[in-house]
Amino acid sequence: MPGFDFSNYNRNAALHARGVPLPKATSTGTTIVGCIYDGGVVIAADTRATSGPIVADKNCEKLHYIASNIWCAGAGTAADTEFTTSLISSQLELHSLSTGRKPRVVTCMTMLKQHLFRYQGHIGAYLVVAGVDPTGTHLFTVHAHGSTDKLPYVTMGSGSLAAMSVFETQWKPSLTQDEAVKLCADAIESGIWNDLGSGSNVDVAIITPDKTTLKRNYIKPNERSQKLRSYAFAKGSTAVLNEKIIRKEDISDFVSVHEIAVEGGDSMEVDT
Amino acid sequence: MEFGNSGSLREDGIHLDMDRLKKGEVNLGTSIMAVTFKDGVILGADSRTTTGAYIANRVTDKLTQVHDTIWCCRSGSAADTQAVADIVKYQLELFAMTNRKAPTTQTAAAIFQEITYSNKDRLSAGLIIAGWDERHGGQVYSIPLGGSLHKQPYSIGGSGSTYIYGFCDANWKEGMEEAAAVDFVKSALREAIKWDGSSGGVIRMVVLTAKGADRHLYLPDTDYKVRHA
Amino acid sequence: MAAMFSQNPLMNGPNYSFNDAPTVNAPEGARQHRFDPYTDNGGSTLAIAGADFTVMAGDTRLTSGYSINSRHHPKLFKIGGTTADQKDATLVLSVVGFAADGEALKERLDVICKMYRFRHGKPMSAKACAQRLSTILYQKRFFPYYAYAILGGLDEEGKGAVYSYDPVGSYEREQCRAGGAAASLIMPFLDNQVNFKNQYIPGSGEGHALQERERRPLAREEVEILVKDAFDGAVERHIEVGDGLQMMVITKDGIEEVFLPLKRD
Repeated sequence: MPGFDFSNYNRNAALHARGVPLPKATSTGTTIVGCIYDGGVVIAADTRATSGPIVADKNCEKLHYIASNIWCAGAGTAADTEFTTSLISSQLELHSLSTGRKPRVVTCMTMLKQHLFRYQGHIGAYLVVAGVDPTGTHLFTVHAHGSTDKLPYVTMGSGSLAAMSVFETQWKPSLTQDEAVKLCADAIESGIWNDLGSGSNVDVAIITPDKTTLKRNYIKPNERSQKLRSYAFAKGSTAVLNEKIIRKEDISDFVSVHEIAVEGGDSMEVDT
Repeated sequence: MEFGNSGSLREDGIHLDMDRLKKGEVNLGTSIMAVTFKDGVILGADSRTTTGAYIANRVTDKLTQVHDTIWCCRSGSAADTQAVADIVKYQLELFAMTNRKAPTTQTAAAIFQEITYSNKDRLSAGLIIAGWDERHGGQVYSIPLGGSLHKQPYSIGGSGSTYIYGFCDANWKEGMEEAAAVDFVKSALREAIKWDGSSGGVIRMVVLTAKGADRHLYLPDTDYKVRHA
Repeated sequence: MAAMFSQNPLMNGPNYSFNDAPTVNAPEGARQHRFDPYTDNGGSTLAIAGADFTVMAGDTRLTSGYSINSRHHPKLFKIGGTTADQKDATLVLSVVGFAADGEALKERLDVICKMYRFRHGKPMSAKACAQRLSTILYQKRFFPYYAYAILGGLDEEGKGAVYSYDPVGSYEREQCRAGGAAASLIMPFLDNQVNFKNQYIPGSGEGHALQERERRPLAREEVEILVKDAFDGAVERHIEVGDGLQMMVITKDGIEEVFLPLKRD
């Protein structure tokens, strides 16, 4: 299986044995949930990413695209959820093209579990897989070790207990779309308030046989408060010890320059 | 994700390993059993899946179909047992297509053993395979941790089974009627659920006879008395 | 004062207060059973001394791991008053680290200050109380109070005084100090905004000759704004800080206390 590069394994193991700490990956502390309703499925996530006790990203995206009719919520190691979902998304698209059929949720779930099982839990991806396909509406959880569960409502991540307590008290067998969205958002909010690993905003995705609606920042209950004064420094406050000016037209002497047109859409989100 | 040294057997050869699950792994804390009776075989299981103290799934189906009338009860690591069952299911389907006849329970059990024995240092899977076939009727095979294979008239497994060895030994009879066998499985699992903290939820059963597979569900709401679905 | 900067007294190096300590050289498979009497309850504190006042502040969240144990658990305590409500107290102690040890430490110091006051007919001076607190901490040198204490009050001349401590009693008087989980986030802000570190007067010279911005004592209103903004910032980036802000202002007229809301996520 190509993909991972293990060439630094021995060096890192030797360093670690001599007491050098391993680099810490960004973990999506996370509350993620999913819920089936009459006519589709809803998944939701909070937007806090942490590195130890520090908030690494206040508004990250934990809802991942697999196919237009299949979406995934990810908890665990941020890089693992990101790469695992995009890898399976690619494979599923190729599979769909070669079979000439719409991708199925069970196919996606099986590919994910077999990939994760092969890596024996070293790929720390904990996923909620949801989607609608010609066989119906489906909702699964996939754990990092490769085990799966099929349930009408699911939660994962450090806030899963807080979120599950909402489902276990308010869930009922028959829900409308609005009720399901409200239930999922409430479950995520419970994680945001009561779990330190989760915070900031609520993202929601609604998948129906017709279309998928992604509601980024569906609820924003944690807007940053206004600072009480300006902390702008007068120009020249910073000591300059030496100065060298390179003009824009000369920059190509030092690095190769390509002009790239960026238009909203796929450009990476920048934190302000 | 590290394994302990405790995986190896000691000189006495009876060292029970309580530390085989990898860190954070999903565990089937489990009470499972399978029983032969007059017309076939019954599999039974609780429905609790745990990660540490947390119940990750309270309505788990630990009875997994690997062929029309060959099923297995899974205990140990959820990931390992699902992976093994998926492989066996594929092998049996291939077997049925190439040989143009359904596999026997023994064949299924042998494939299970092949996988669990050759990967015994990597798997934590305790399985009970039960099935009905034309030639042998109902049969039960047990495959514990090391990958050995034991044909038994009935078998119990999982953490909850330790509480019901006495009960089963006292109450099991050769060639029971279906109703009596269902009752036996149900009372045994009820006791295991009562005493074992890692077992709980609903009781699921599958009855395998010449008529095929019949699923039973019993809820704690009705004290496991009423059959639902 | 090396220990002051490593937040966990049990380990060296730049570790944070979060319970994520690696198990060093644990032989594989071997499991040690050991009584661990310490928990880190998170939270952060802050103290700034002014010309004739001292502002002390702390958040009111109490955590363990990823859980919130309380959203209103004060970390600031008035010390050495003669009544139950401490209305005639002149000193404030703030503690972060292990909440139970903080509580015990506060109780001990309070009793000592009260005894002094009843015996001598006057409250303990900030300087004397600061020295006594150091002694209390060092008495438990080999089973320390896992608490980062800051003592605030007014000195003999009526100027604001802040004393900060490590868990085993090393202390010094400072202009300002942040303690606890978000200390490493708040302290650089304070260096810049209270002591004007890294701020130079624009156009006052070239390179190294550039003049540093001159320090001046901050007004009480300015300090209170800095404190609020510091905590709002810490709440944004540290998961163990939040819920509420407790603030005490010590002046010659007594101690004023306010509680303000902070984000609860």
